[in-house]
Amino acid sequence: MSDLAAFSRFARTFQSGEIIFSEYEPGDSFYLIQAGRVRITKIVGEIEKNIDILQPPEIFGEMAILEGAPRSATAIAMDTVKVLEFNRANFEILMMGNPQIALRLLRLFAKRIYDQKRRFMILTLEDPQAKVADVFLMLFETQGAQAGEQDGDRREIKATVDDVAHWAGMTVAEAQNILGHFSNQRRVELYQDRIVVKNINDFTRFVNSRRKK
Amino acid sequence: MPKVGLYRANSVIYFQGDLGDKIFVLQRGRVSLNYSDIETGKDIREVIQTGEFFGVKSALGRYPREENAVVLEDASVLVFTVPEYEEFAAKNIRIILKMLKVFSNQLRRVHRQVENLMENSQSVNPETGLFKTGEYYLRNRMYSQAKYVMGRYLTYYPAGRMAEQAGRYLEAAETALMRYGDGKGPAPLAGSPIRKNSQKSETQEDEAPAKAPSVPASAQKPTRDDGDYAKDYYNAVSLFSQGKFQEALKGFKAIIEANADPEYSSKSLFDLGRCLFALSQWDLSIQHFTRIIQTTPKHPDIADMLYIMGQAWEKKGDAEKAKGFFKKVLTMTGDDDSSARIKAKKALNAMGGA
Repeated sequence: MSDLAAFSRFARTFQSGEIIFSEYEPGDSFYLIQAGRVRITKIVGEIEKNIDILQPPEIFGEMAILEGAPRSATAIAMDTVKVLEFNRANFEILMMGNPQIALRLLRLFAKRIYDQKRRFMILTLEDPQAKVADVFLMLFETQGAQAGEQDGDRREIKATVDDVAHWAGMTVAEAQNILGHFSNQRRVELYQDRIVVKNINDFTRFVNSRRKK
Repeated sequence: MPKVGLYRANSVIYFQGDLGDKIFVLQRGRVSLNYSDIETGKDIREVIQTGEFFGVKSALGRYPREENAVVLEDASVLVFTVPEYEEFAAKNIRIILKMLKVFSNQLRRVHRQVENLMENSQSVNPETGLFKTGEYYLRNRMYSQAKYVMGRYLTYYPAGRMAEQAGRYLEAAETALMRYGDGKGPAPLAGSPIRKNSQKSETQEDEAPAKAPSVPASAQKPTRDDGDYAKDYYNAVSLFSQGKFQEALKGFKAIIEANADPEYSSKSLFDLGRCLFALSQWDLSIQHFTRIIQTTPKHPDIADMLYIMGQAWEKKGDAEKAKGFFKKVLTMTGDDDSSARIKAKKALNAMGGA
């Protein structure tokens, strides 16, 4: 990263605990971590949830390229954090001299587009039960690799009711209601921090049958 | 080095759902990307231009192909592995910049589509969201964070709906930060000490998140007058409308337990049941309303209670009981246009009539 020395005029330092940007704040810049760790959090109900912990040379705040979109999470410095701060106007200068950063941003966008599309697929389902079922499938797809030992068609998904409500675009009460229904049918087991899906194929069939063809 | 691949007409370069790590450039011939639109299910064909890259996103992002790449006329393509593509792109930074533009446009589009669908459900207006974020930090004694967020609120919304309050909160955060330091000091929002550390003006609803919970009602009794209960009640109603049912419930409960003002105790009794329902406590809400109806058959909100009980039975999956309660609402004498009647009628229609 020595080639970034030329960008010192974009450098900023944050002390531990300092907010880099807040959820809902309009954003026009994105950041490249040079030193220290950054905690990405979101306030859900009455709890501050950690979404991610990032370190050099990761990029965050890249959604700022979406004009006018408010920040979807808060970024807080965990240590003394050094970042380079760029915006739409000056990021081309950075990219021209640093193809590796440009490639990293490109990979990040590819991932974001996929995540958003997948999310959109959930939201376009009309049946709320199918939405919740598709959230299971999506979480399993993204967690699948690290989900560890899976027993037959049984899958364990790390998610809370709040997470399900968030991804399915419904209120927590609605999500709770549907999860309760699935649980009564003995198709899932609910725990505080995880959901055990008894037969993932059952939900795959269910979601497919509800998708517009 | 990228390899050249030759494909016959009607063959398929990759299928939707394939995991692929190759990126292609069309050199000659015709290739079409076929997929169905997420929203409408309509089939879409995108014909690739000569010299155009395809398969980039799924290869770089390491997710399954989202379309079938079908050869329309005999084609020759250059096939890159991801490292080959990256090496090539690193030397042709313009290509990356162009790709970044394409991707960011796609991202913007799908982001907007998601936002549109979210609007109906629970998307929070950014102004309110920012304010509440600051409020959260203040409540949890994270003064420097609260200070930052309230400061941002005032920067972006100097004439905003909550600007006055944000100003006070900002001051409270600054004072507490200086006096006690982050994480220390008396609760700046939750509970009674609120009046100690800032000169609050008398009648702001902003103290809502504060007092209802956690302060035992008995502790407040001696010095309170009726106006305080009205204020507490509307604070709790405001919490309910913000979706903070748990806190609202505590507020109503405190008013009922104090039992000092008949009007607000009775109102709170009804609203406590609404909280239980909103928290998906179907059985508890049914029990609660049954008790009220038994002890206070002349309660002014009986019709609404019956309607909510009907909804609770419906949620529990008992359509017959639900219908019974909705019908009961309709047989109640009184205002024909009451919202409970209208809602009950609608509910009955939705359930396939009476």
